[in-house]
This record gives sequence, C-alpha cells and structure tokens, in this order.
Amino acid sequence: MVRRATAFLIVGALLMALASMVGAQSQFTLPGIPNPKVATFPPEVGKYGGTYVVSSISDPRTFNPIIVQDTASGAVTNVMFDGLVEQDYITGEIEPGLAESWTVSSNGRTWVFTLRQGLVWSDGTPLTVDDVVFSIQAIFTPGVDNSFRSLLTFSGQQVTWRKLDARRIQFTTPTSLCPVGLFLRFIGFPIVPKHKLADVLARSGAEFSRTWGVNVDPKTMVGSGPFLLQSFTPGQRVIMLKNQKYWQVDKRGQRLPYLVRYIIVTVPNQDAARLQFLAKQIDAYGARGREFAELKGLEKQGDFTIYDGPETFTREFIVFNQNPRGVRAPKLSWFSDVKFRIALAHAIDQNTMSRQVLAGRATTSTSDISAGNKLYYDASLQPYPYDLNRAQQLLAEAGYRKGADGFLRDAQGNVVEFTIVTNAGNQDREAYGNIVRQDFVKLGIRATFVTESFPSLVGKLTGTYNWEAIIIGFTGGIEHGTARNLWLTTGDLHMWNPNQTTPATQWEAEVDRVFEQYACEPDQAKRKALMTQFQQVVYRNLPMLYFPYQKTQPALRNTIGNVKLGLQGATGTLGTRYYKGPYRP
Amino acid sequence: MIRYIARRIMNMIPLLVGVSLVSFLVVQLSPGDFLAEIRLNPVVDAATVDRMRENLGLDKPLYIQYVKWLASILRLDFGYSFAYQVPVWWLINSRLLNTLLLSIVSLVIAWLIAIPIGIHAATRQYSWSDNTLSFVSYIGISTPTFFSGLLLLYVAFVTGWFPIGGMTSLEFDDMSTVGKVLDVARHLVIPASVLAFLTVAGLMRQMRANLLEVLRQDYVKTARAKGLAERVVINRHAVRNAINPLITIFGFELGGLLGGAAILESVVGWPGLGQLILDSVLRKDLYVVMGSLMLGTVTLVVGNLVADVLLAASDPRIRYD
Repeated sequence: MVRRATAFLIVGALLMALASMVGAQSQFTLPGIPNPKVATFPPEVGKYGGTYVVSSISDPRTFNPIIVQDTASGAVTNVMFDGLVEQDYITGEIEPGLAESWTVSSNGRTWVFTLRQGLVWSDGTPLTVDDVVFSIQAIFTPGVDNSFRSLLTFSGQQVTWRKLDARRIQFTTPTSLCPVGLFLRFIGFPIVPKHKLADVLARSGAEFSRTWGVNVDPKTMVGSGPFLLQSFTPGQRVIMLKNQKYWQVDKRGQRLPYLVRYIIVTVPNQDAARLQFLAKQIDAYGARGREFAELKGLEKQGDFTIYDGPETFTREFIVFNQNPRGVRAPKLSWFSDVKFRIALAHAIDQNTMSRQVLAGRATTSTSDISAGNKLYYDASLQPYPYDLNRAQQLLAEAGYRKGADGFLRDAQGNVVEFTIVTNAGNQDREAYGNIVRQDFVKLGIRATFVTESFPSLVGKLTGTYNWEAIIIGFTGGIEHGTARNLWLTTGDLHMWNPNQTTPATQWEAEVDRVFEQYACEPDQAKRKALMTQFQQVVYRNLPMLYFPYQKTQPALRNTIGNVKLGLQGATGTLGTRYYKGPYRP
Repeated sequence: MIRYIARRIMNMIPLLVGVSLVSFLVVQLSPGDFLAEIRLNPVVDAATVDRMRENLGLDKPLYIQYVKWLASILRLDFGYSFAYQVPVWWLINSRLLNTLLLSIVSLVIAWLIAIPIGIHAATRQYSWSDNTLSFVSYIGISTPTFFSGLLLLYVAFVTGWFPIGGMTSLEFDDMSTVGKVLDVARHLVIPASVLAFLTVAGLMRQMRANLLEVLRQDYVKTARAKGLAERVVINRHAVRNAINPLITIFGFELGGLLGGAAILESVVGWPGLGQLILDSVLRKDLYVVMGSLMLGTVTLVVGNLVADVLLAASDPRIRYD
C-alpha cells in the first residue's frame, strides 16, 4: 500500500537547474502545432494500430488528476493529463512537456515557462496559460486535498504565479528562502481544463474533489495526454482511446501514440494477473522475484521476455522506538544506544531474506537509498556482514551480556526483550519478521513477533507512539531529499522520535542540515555530495536496519516494440509503444 | 398476515439502529483510521493530513458523526466514500447487480438440483447411488470455495474452455445483445458452479435427512396402505412435510445473497460487492462499510421474513395471527 502512494509524484532525476533556455525548435510540425515534442525515446519508428492490455490489482479511485493519491488512479490520469514538464523514464531527467522551454532568473527564484503553440484539449479547445493558472488555483483551494500543495509550499509559504501572456506564465518562490533546488521536479503537476471545471471549483473545493470521480461520464472529460478515458466498468476494466490531438511525434514527425486502445484490467490478485498473462489475455506482467526463474523457462512457449530489472526505490526495514514519549527505561536506553543498533545490524541476515523471500532477486542494502537510484546511491558503503558472533561481541562491549540462562541482559541486569510488529497480510514482511526474530533470539534477546492491521500499526507509529520495534517499508523517489517528513527531526514520520523541537542527537542535527541544504541546492553534483554525506551518517547511526532492495522483473510480450528498461523496471512509454507483429484489434 | 408482516417490519427499526450503532463504534473505536496510508507517505506533511481529517469530518466527536450519518441515511443518502469521493450508493449500485446475478443463478441451480437428488437419495437409502451422492456431498461441504474456485480457474487456464476470471470479455462493449448474454454466461460457469456445488451438497443432505424422517411417520404408512401410488406418497405427502426446514434455510440464503459469495468473488475476480466491502473494511472507508452493513442487515431480516411467510403458505398448521 505504502509503496504505491507517491512513486509517481516524486520520481525524477537530473535537474537542469540554472539552464537559462531549454528546448530546441523541433524539425517537424503538426497541423496547428508548429513545435511538437519529438519523443526522446523512440529507437524504432512504430506501426499504427493495436490494443495494449495490462492489469492492475485495484480499481482507480478517481479520474480527477489533482486529487489522485494512489497508483491505480495515477495509471489513468497520468496518461490522460500532461504537465508543464515531464520526466524521462530512463534517466529521470526533467524534460519539456506542455511547456516547450523555460527560463530562470539569476537568483533562482523566478521561473518563466512558455507553452507550446497551438496546444489543444481533446475537444479542440485551446490549451492556454489560463488552464495552467486554473490548475494551480485548484491545488491551493481549501477543500481540494492533494499532494501537490505541500510540494509547492516552501516553509509555509506558497509559490506565487502570474500570467505574462497567452503562452507564458511566471512562478516565483518565496523570497525569504534559498532558491528552490528542485523546483522543476515540483512543477510537473497535471494541467486540467478550465473550460470544463471552472464552474465546480467556483462552487467549492469539496465539490471540485468530487468531480470526475469514478462515476463520471467519460464524454464530459477532455485530456491532453496520449490516451483518453473511454469507459470504466467497476471491478473489471478501464478502456482508454488514442488522443487524435496529442502533441508529441516520433522521429519521422508522425503523431503519437501508435496504439489505438490502452486497457487496464482489474484483477483480484497477483496470481490472477500471472495466469491471464500466461494465457495471453494481458500483454505485460510485473513478476515477483520468486517467479523469475519459472517465467524465464516459459518465455518461448508464452512468446514473451522477462527482464532482469533494476531495484525498486522501496525500502523495507526494522525501526526501534527511541521516543521518550513512547517507551520507557530500560528499553529506551537500549534502542537509543547506537552500539546496540549496530550490533543488531550484524544479526540481520540479508542473504537469507533475499534467498527465502525474494528468490535471490534482491540487492543487499546499506542505507536509505536503493542501489536502483543510480543518481544518489553511495556504492562505497559495505553492508554490515551477517555474523552473530560479531554481534554478540559488540553487544558484550556495549555492556549487554548473555547470562547462564541464555538471556541477554543489559548492564543493570534487565533481560533484553521487545515485541516486533508488522502489518498483517504482507507476506514478505511476515517472513522478514520471522527471520529477524530467530536471529535476535539466538543472541539471547527475548523477541516476539506479531502482526496487526495496517491502520492500527500506522496509528501507533504516528499517533500513540506505543510500540517497540516495527517492520515496515516506504516508497522512494529519485530525488531522495524530498523525504523530508521522514528525515527532518521536526517530521511527523521521523518514526523513532518524531516532532522534535530541537534535535535529540548530533547526527540527527547533521541530517537536518543536509536536508535543508539539499532543498536549496540547484547544482546536481553538490546535491549528490550531500546525499553521500547523508548515507554515511545514516550508515554510522542506523536508526533503521535495512532489508534487501527488491529487484524488478517485468515481463512483456515479444510483439511489442520500443522496449528498454528504465527506472524501477519501467519498460517504455505508452506514447511510443507499438506492435511489431499481429495484434488484437 | 399483513398485520404480522407490518409488525415484523416495525421491529426492524430498532434492530437497524442497534446494528448501525454497534458497527459504527467498532469501526471508529478500533485503532487507526482511513488516513493511515497517506500518513506513511514521506512527502506529505502532517498539516495536510490534518486538513484531510477535517474535510472528511473525522475530527468531529463520535456522536456528532453518528447522528449526522443517521440523519442522512433516513433520507436514503448513504454519504460519500472517503477513498473514491463518490456517493456510497453509486459504488454499491455499480456492483450490486453483478453479485445478485451470481448469487441468484447459483441459488436457482442449486435448488433445482439438490431437491430432486435429496429425494432420490432418501427413497433409495443405502443404495449405491445414495452412497455415491453422500460421498460427493461430503466433498462439497468440506471444500472451501476459494479452493474449488482456484482449482477450476486452473482447469480453465489449462484447457482454455472458459475465461480465467472476470465477468465480461474485453470486446464486451462491441457485442450484440445475444453475444453479451452468452459472454456473461460463459464467465458465470466457474463461479456459479462452485457456489452451487457447495449449496447442493448441504441442501441435499438436509432434504435426504428430513425426508427419511417423514417416511417413517404413520401417515406415510397409511397413505401406502390406502394403495396410493408411491410417486403420490412421496411427492404429495412426504416431501410436502419434509420441506419446512428447507424453507427456513432458503430464508437465510436470501439474506446471504449479497455477502455470501464475497470470498469466491475475490478469488475469481467477479466484480461484485465482496471485494468492495473487503477493501473498505481494511481501509476503514467508514460510510462504505456502514452502507453495505445496513444493506446486508436489511436483506437478512427480509430474507427471514420471506421464509416465515412461505412457511405459513406451505404448511397450514403454521399461523401467525
């Protein structure tokens, strides 16, 4: 659940921050659009036609792109609505989108975006700066609950905007702050049509949030992306149709997309998705680690290829409560003892986890940043080796000794005991929990492992603070420094000791400084240095003990063209996807 | 009779209020709330979460939330879903017919099969056909639907005879009316036979046991002694008397029309209420949970009422006034 929520929001990479002029004049034109975007990743020129079918485990919850919070809805709205800028799915770089170019002032605070000329919504209405202004107004309207608002609010101050002319809009970040290093990452919010939604927004924010819900009549919607919603049948499928007025072309200047229809089938579970993929009812499948070898053997028979994809950005870990408002002595003193945590890090058997849970399709972790994040991952860090003797020795050095009865006791003679909790129903985490518990028990710790419902677990984590050790996971983005709510000591998700008024420890204060500098830093190389510093601080202090990073293993039918692996196992873009051979109509 | 029905319906009101109050409290007082998912999002700050809590009305005291909900339900307004931001009634309605289709089809099949074979088994007690039927029905009773559902899905995958889950094909929208009916029917085969198999197994055992009981009664002997044809003895006299407990069961099954297939729906991807209700409970989407519980309670009570009325109709000894 957690991993879905924001991946699409905060993904991204290299930032052409102070570039003064971006976006070259294209050599092609479309009727009415003198400068269409030439898709950046089309190694092959495709053929028109065909229906591409994928699956999703949940139904979309809304078709209103501003309020989207979950992946299933994002899978539809991201295809239907474009933003000023978009992200290259392979490198994570920010590229021109609806805006063909932008400029930034020398102090890094004023940004001017120029829209492509001749853009239209799918109903033929011109897409102008008025739509951009309308979209950002919607984002800041009370009652419209959305994730873009926090991204465009800096230390409590909103970004301001002004329409310059029909094609240009200016954004200004608050002047009391440093320049916003990641501004281009935050400005990719979806643009929604003013001519369709102005009336509802005028009524109220709550009304706006309820517009274009899953009960919408698709005929009343318009879009700017490659595909448009044609129909939604709850519990069954979303059907999307090609947008004849899309603004991107291939390298021969032919209008994209190639495909006629894009269908997302709702399946009850992963196993059903797999069966339907093998039965050729769907064309793509995101396999689990343990299915990799088996599917590899079925490639020929099923006419598909399964790819050895990179690691996801999702990290899974065990965290100990260091919050005086949540645990008391002596547990508090164990958990806040860095020697204790490092000793336990030697008891985390990542190899067994990888082998038993992920069939070896995983990479040993060293920090909060996944090896799949090529931009910021610090490959110089070595994982703490799994070595129970070493762990026992480190514990002894820190004053925790194993008695004759086999129980570990701290210097005051208290038996070390705690409960590890994770959310029920997540099989991977349940397996991790059992492996961790067994190793802790071998050290003489009286560890118990229990599961409880997800809402209840989160209630403890962010509300009552009444927990000892929790196994959970977070999604990540390529710009890791946006995880401020997790790493700043003032953060609500700073799980081990949230909402601090002053940093409790030296190293937490250092992480605070790193994250503040990162937010202001427009230079990619300097941001990389800051993230390296961050990973090293985390490595030495280990507020969380990390589990292996899962690899992705996307499987795709061989008849599909323009396939290349990208970040987190993406296999291509919908705009350039096509059928090399026969296809379903 | 009409007075009796009216009284039963009046009795429903305190029952519904009670059920709604208890379930409202259970959902609200159990730890955690709908916003758990968003709270664990490292880029969303606490202020945003608080604002959402306020917008959803979750910051108000419990009794105010309950009274508000009760007031709107009296106007048949089920409220809005937190997750979908669409009316709860629309969500339920978008799946209600699918669930009813599956439940009713399997119910009809099950009854049409179970009663005759139950009679057959009772009239030929301990014959090889009775023993075979008993054996098969034990398998039916003891096989959980998720298992038989998965098994049949796998058979469908290997043989290609039936679609693998779902209710309609991708091309459904372009089909003729006849094509649409056939398409749904093809998709119905697996889930309906799984449900029917389970019901048949139970019902057939019931029917057999009841009929055996009745066949030992003196009036059956009398009827036979009068020289009536065996067919008339069984169908006119014995079955008529043996069927009463089954009518009660029928009432319960009416009550289970909406939720009875929930697990199977999740297994075979039937787009019914099951998945919606399960998700809303896990996610604590309060008003969807409340709406579906209310609907479930009403069907259960009405189902029992229907059974009682049917009992009176089939058995002249039963009178309510």
